[in-house]
Amino acid sequence: MRLARLLMVAAGVLVMAQTALAGPQIGAAAPDFTLTTVDGKSFSLAQEAKSHKAVVVMFIATKCPYSNAYNDRMRDMAAAYAKQGIAFVGINSNKSEPADEVVSHAKQHGFAFPLMKDPDNKIADLYDARHTPEIFVVDPDGKLRYHGRIDENYEDASRVTSPDLKNALDSMLAGKAIAKAETKAFGCTIKRV
Amino acid sequence: MNRARKGAAAAALLLLTAVALAAPPTGQVVGEVDAKGLTEAVAREKGKVVLVNFWATWCVPCREEFPDLSRLQKNLGPKGFALIGVSTDFAKEAPAVRKFLAEQKPLFANYHKKTGGDDQVFIEAVDKEWGGELPFSVLYDRAGRKSKTFSGKHSYEEYEKEILRLAGK
Repeated sequence: MRLARLLMVAAGVLVMAQTALAGPQIGAAAPDFTLTTVDGKSFSLAQEAKSHKAVVVMFIATKCPYSNAYNDRMRDMAAAYAKQGIAFVGINSNKSEPADEVVSHAKQHGFAFPLMKDPDNKIADLYDARHTPEIFVVDPDGKLRYHGRIDENYEDASRVTSPDLKNALDSMLAGKAIAKAETKAFGCTIKRV
Repeated sequence: MNRARKGAAAAALLLLTAVALAAPPTGQVVGEVDAKGLTEAVAREKGKVVLVNFWATWCVPCREEFPDLSRLQKNLGPKGFALIGVSTDFAKEAPAVRKFLAEQKPLFANYHKKTGGDDQVFIEAVDKEWGGELPFSVLYDRAGRKSKTFSGKHSYEEYEKEILRLAGK
């Protein structure tokens, strides 16, 4: 009886561990992918990673208030870090947000970084991306170095106390270890149906 | 006569108060909670199966499943089930939260997540595996132990199946 209970507990732990390991882990290879951008160009993560100091993959949305709260921050960070050899890209995996909406949203908010739709949520599934905005930073060797939020204050950019993505990128540029490589924040569930 | 009238008024007042206390707190936020406060709210329902649902007014799938949550409370409440809602709306959205609850008239208590602090602390205190996506629900058994989590929107039947599984124990 006790053995059976122990086995059940062990099985539960295993299931939980498998759930936790669904997406890429920090330091492990980030799944490579190729997508077509909304302006018709081919985008290969592996190629972009090799030719940059880092690639910031952002799962974003057009209608999610949390994602939209970061529009200006995403635009400004992409422009600032492009000068330092870091590329930003946006992926929209929401089935309910078509490519033409992604294009008009990008125009409205001045996004100059590549944007792509993720048909059938394949890339979101590869990364176990669950919500928007959700960030993955990949280094030139194709390894995942950071996963999580842009910062802790979606409501007010002027009162951010934990600029986690910026800290991660600055650490990478300085050749230092990233102190907080995994962070969390609220966001809108990626609409997979 | 006056004394009788006063007595009747007092009795009516007592009755109204009792009804108000017994009635589910519909249509309004009952208070703010942090992770500790939420744990205490769940503990107060010990003996019942408890589903905590995290939602926001701007979250379309949250809004879509909200009527089903009320239905769950109505149908499964007598079997020893309690639902607790937690709005994670921005502080500035408080009027939208009030309006939403006034329209929905949920049959269960709804709190607002305490403003300020780092959301990561709250998220991880609720569940280590929660990435912060909404809606998100956590099911507790009658002893207050976490039994299952639900990421994203789920159907009435999916919630009901798990609640009844625990309620029957």
